[in-house]
Amino acid sequence: MSVQKIETYQDMPFAVGYGTNGWADHPLPVAIPLLAEQGYTAIALTLGHPHIDPFAQDLTSQLAEIRTLLERYQMRVVVETGTRFLLDPKRKHRPTLVDQEAEARMNFLRRAIDIARALDAECVSFFSGVIPEGTKSSEGWDLLVKRLADLVIYAAEREVRLSLEPEPGMLVETVADALRLRSELGDPDALGITVDIGHCVVVEPGGVQGALQQAGALLANVQLDDMLAHAHEHLPFGQGIVDLPQALSTLAEMNYQGVAAVELPRHSWDAPALAESSLRAISQAWSEAKTQSAHGRWLSDALAAIANDPRCLPQIFALAGRTVARTPINAQADPTGVIFGMRVDHARADLIAELFTVQDPEALAQHLRDLYYRGDSAERRGVLRGLNKLVDSGRQLEDRMINTGLEITGDALRTNETSLVAAAVGAFGAAHLDQHAWRHAVLKLVFMGVSLRAVQDLHVRADEELARMAKDFAAERRAANRSIPEDVALLTELPIYSERSDEG
Amino acid sequence: MRIFDPHIHMTSRTTNDYEAMFASGVRAVVEPAFWLGQPRTSVASYLDYFDSLLGWERFRAAQFGIRHHATIALNPKEANDPRCVPVLEEIPRYLVKDGVVAVGEIGYDSMTPAEDHAFASQLQMAREYQLPVLVHTPHREKLAGTRRTLDVVRESGIAAEFVLVDHLNETNIEMVKDAGSWMGFSIYPDTKMDEARMVALLKRYGTERILVNSAADWGRSDPLKTRKTADCMLAAGFSDDDVDQVLWRNPVAFYAQSQQLILDPIPGFESDRFPDPTAGFEGNSVLRGERV
Repeated sequence: MSVQKIETYQDMPFAVGYGTNGWADHPLPVAIPLLAEQGYTAIALTLGHPHIDPFAQDLTSQLAEIRTLLERYQMRVVVETGTRFLLDPKRKHRPTLVDQEAEARMNFLRRAIDIARALDAECVSFFSGVIPEGTKSSEGWDLLVKRLADLVIYAAEREVRLSLEPEPGMLVETVADALRLRSELGDPDALGITVDIGHCVVVEPGGVQGALQQAGALLANVQLDDMLAHAHEHLPFGQGIVDLPQALSTLAEMNYQGVAAVELPRHSWDAPALAESSLRAISQAWSEAKTQSAHGRWLSDALAAIANDPRCLPQIFALAGRTVARTPINAQADPTGVIFGMRVDHARADLIAELFTVQDPEALAQHLRDLYYRGDSAERRGVLRGLNKLVDSGRQLEDRMINTGLEITGDALRTNETSLVAAAVGAFGAAHLDQHAWRHAVLKLVFMGVSLRAVQDLHVRADEELARMAKDFAAERRAANRSIPEDVALLTELPIYSERSDEG
Repeated sequence: MRIFDPHIHMTSRTTNDYEAMFASGVRAVVEPAFWLGQPRTSVASYLDYFDSLLGWERFRAAQFGIRHHATIALNPKEANDPRCVPVLEEIPRYLVKDGVVAVGEIGYDSMTPAEDHAFASQLQMAREYQLPVLVHTPHREKLAGTRRTLDVVRESGIAAEFVLVDHLNETNIEMVKDAGSWMGFSIYPDTKMDEARMVALLKRYGTERILVNSAADWGRSDPLKTRKTADCMLAAGFSDDDVDQVLWRNPVAFYAQSQQLILDPIPGFESDRFPDPTAGFEGNSVLRGERV
């Protein structure tokens, strides 16, 4: 199934690519059309086995063929140089720019620059190297500075941009290291920075967002992958801890316009399927990123407008769904948004929490009442979840506010709208509903078939009377030959009463 | 087959109707605000009604896999009752709510000065809030009423493509078509239009800018008339694409001008099959469960 490339990517400032080192079992004339068909608009081309031998006799004709392919499929390209055994068949990646002898590496990188020029590639990405045993870091650093100075001149003369990639365990490990090196070289234009977002969760103190922002305008190349914090192992999206939506939204905020390519060099055996699932993950993360930033933008715009003219609050509150998505906040666990609410509910709730810090409590209580009673169901959920947020964040509520909250909560609990009842048994209900009202609210959820995950502090407030009510409810269902909702067990089997009452 | 009923009063219908509508292919509806049969006596009665259109009724429809939208207005009949007219001051706050896709039903019942005032002022609200309008044409004096309606619409300055003129028939279709507005037809068991006459009109005037609705309410009416008209179109040789245009794309194109249509399938109802009613769905006044 091909992915809808237009819908997904037309609003991304950068191009999404895939690294050819993850397609080692496909020749390029096969891999490139496949990637294009799936919706990728760039490749990160690793030089060396198996795709392109940079020292081959017929290099010129090979490059011409690749350039034709790229043009035909409208793919952008960056050149990658992380091939493992090109220069030394026994020692991975060696020699590097921090080894005593590095002529082979220098030759290779000069060749890579030539190739980038021939392909009109956007940069040549390269790493520093692991300090060999017996060499001091300072020595390695000096060698690196000296060699890079030569390479930068070579690249600049050929109008090719170099891009230094910090790698865990190497001498240049973080973006900060790369910036320091660049500054020693006199900040040459021809030297940019590559960021692999997976590496960031392993070594970057500021995480993915911090590292990307630190690279800023110097960011020349991006690699996309997932990773766990303790291991430099490139993983498919979803298998590590990288916050992909945050990474993409950071790139968008920086208006990064280069290539961001999936980097899964150990997964060639499953390349077509992984390319598809990766793109789906990116597309999903991208829509997530947009809704997250829409939330933040709406909130700050709303606060500014209300500060300017408090009378616009009702209209701003009503219009929230025009900007913030009306989609579940936790779609996986709660596809309908009944239990945990919609994104827009939480944006409205955040607005209430922010207003609490700037408005007089009397006035805010009146506003909440109006917003609720003059709101549609979504606005009412926003008010209820706003009350929850106030309690959750430890705000001290005055009596007037508590009474208003109880009045609103009581109204919501009388309705038969599942999403309103669920929002009414959150932190505010847990903190302020009397025990009778709270028990009836919980039982009503069971009766309506809504998961008790909606209830805050269930275990703290559940008591023997609620257990009795749940047992009676179950008996009534049994008498009618009806199934008993699983959640009833949560109420009848709580240790607090089943054991106590049996023993007592 | 996917069906959008652009005019149906679901508050007057039962859950059996919702179930049958879903089974017939109805996936989205618009419920215009109108009178209740029993005249209202206060603004408060209106507010509860509007709230119910945007709250409980939307929830109820979603329980059956149907996206529910509403239009909001003071209707022409009650525009004549001074106890109801002040609701005009409350209407603007409803026009910014999610899922309010037009101002309506507005227009004429008996063509009184009070109706003139309500009609004109609500046309201006539609302009201000950039919403389309659903215009009701009178049941009595239909031809003269439609002519006057089109004059008032033109004078208001609202764009013709923002206007849907409803309850049309053979006598007044041409003047609405010539005005450049959308043409709505209500298919009823014995009054207004029937399926066969509708198909004849579609043959004569084409499928462009024509909408078909059931206008089902608490009177003798049938919420499945949209589907029945679609079946008649197919039997008369219209293509699936023609049916899709009249029963889905045309109403979507008209109401989408509000930017307020939500047409994604409701979670749990992605397939054409109704979810298993034994899976946590029984025992309440409406279907239950987490599917909303």
